[in-house]
Amino acid sequence: MPVRWILHWQPSQGSLVNSHILNEISQCVDSFSGVKEGRWKSTLTFYRANVRDQTMSAEFPRDFLGISLMEQPDKYYFIIRGHKLVVEADSSILTIMEKLQSYKSKVALNFEGLQYKLGDFQLRLIKVVPNQAENLRGILMEIEYLPISSIETAKPILEEFIEIWRQVLSKKSLPGQFMRAEPNFAEYGLSDSYSFQHTAVQYAAALAQLIASVQSGQLRS
Amino acid sequence: MECVVQGIIETQYCVIIMHVEALEILLQGLCGVKRERLRIHEICLKNGPNLGTVASEVRLLCDLEQSEPSWTVRHVGGAMRGAGADQISVLVRTIVESKVSKNVLRMFYTLGYKLDNELLRVGFSFRFNYRVANVIVARITVTVSSVNKMMKLHATDEAVPITPGIQIVQVTAPATAENYTDVAAGMQSFCEYLAPLLHLSKPGVSTGVVPTAAAAAASLMSDGGGTPLQ
Repeated sequence: MPVRWILHWQPSQGSLVNSHILNEISQCVDSFSGVKEGRWKSTLTFYRANVRDQTMSAEFPRDFLGISLMEQPDKYYFIIRGHKLVVEADSSILTIMEKLQSYKSKVALNFEGLQYKLGDFQLRLIKVVPNQAENLRGILMEIEYLPISSIETAKPILEEFIEIWRQVLSKKSLPGQFMRAEPNFAEYGLSDSYSFQHTAVQYAAALAQLIASVQSGQLRS
Repeated sequence: MECVVQGIIETQYCVIIMHVEALEILLQGLCGVKRERLRIHEICLKNGPNLGTVASEVRLLCDLEQSEPSWTVRHVGGAMRGAGADQISVLVRTIVESKVSKNVLRMFYTLGYKLDNELLRVGFSFRFNYRVANVIVARITVTVSSVNKMMKLHATDEAVPITPGIQIVQVTAPATAENYTDVAAGMQSFCEYLAPLLHLSKPGVSTGVVPTAAAAAASLMSDGGGTPLQ
């Protein structure tokens, strides 16, 4: 499958992400003459251990994430970042997890947005919102280079594309920029050939960056 | 959910008559399909003492017959109870399975699950559609396997039989809340074909070996199997 890079919006110091920024970025995508290809949605769920004694909760991973991707409705992905672990499962694993009653979902975030086609590239502008609310928590951008599935081979092409994209965006003088948390896929046991597990790892890494920027914003304010 | 019955069969009655071989010939004749080799590493995990509000158990099955071993997570739920369940001779229970990537064992350990036991099932299976009056009533799987234990952790190459000379025969068929009575009836009717060789009953109900097995096996070995079902 094509290599995909996932970037997160890193607000400048003292600023927060808001819908105005999202609109401005969206206009930039339009100026690229991108062809809209429809809506996009993924869901990330945080799981917490179900413990009888709360003092024991530190024994269990606190970064256990589940990810469902709209393009893979029959699959589900688990990530434990602290242990560099990604697992792909049939979506029936959710029924099994429910029956085991060992972990419960605490918070779910939707990654939703629009998909554009730009020649050999596919671009998705994504807003991160809580499952049952509308307030924007972050902005992500996914860039897919359709002809290549080798991560190393696609790297210079994607870097070049992102450089052009940053130049276009810089004209807007927005308070922040797109950054890429570059996860080490080999640490997760993933190969150079891109897969949906790579996407899951990137989502988890981007989400960690979003949380870190929200927390540092809260500390400053 | 699934319908299930199981029984045991002796590997050999004497040097000449192999009961398992006779069963294989019978199944081959009845099902009209080739047998599939079976080699499954089964790892049973239970939640650690501080995890979860109830005891939970999950099984990880690694199919070693594939060129690249494939993993499945299996959760076996409680058996159906009540007057309806008592009236049928097969066990109806909930089963949920999910195919997973190979690092699933590491994930469950990280989540706080502990190894309870592991075993290796080696044998063969037949999968086929069981028809009555040309209508498929059940997608039946018959597995015939010896259960082996590992002398060292995960050392499947050094597994030894837990009950030498005995193999477990399990007949299962997927079902739903709407069709389980039909599936159970179909399974029951299929099991009657196997009755000369082995008793099949709900798991947990011990029925032992069949006294007529030796004669039935000898007969099957001499005539080369039964008549294929429709």
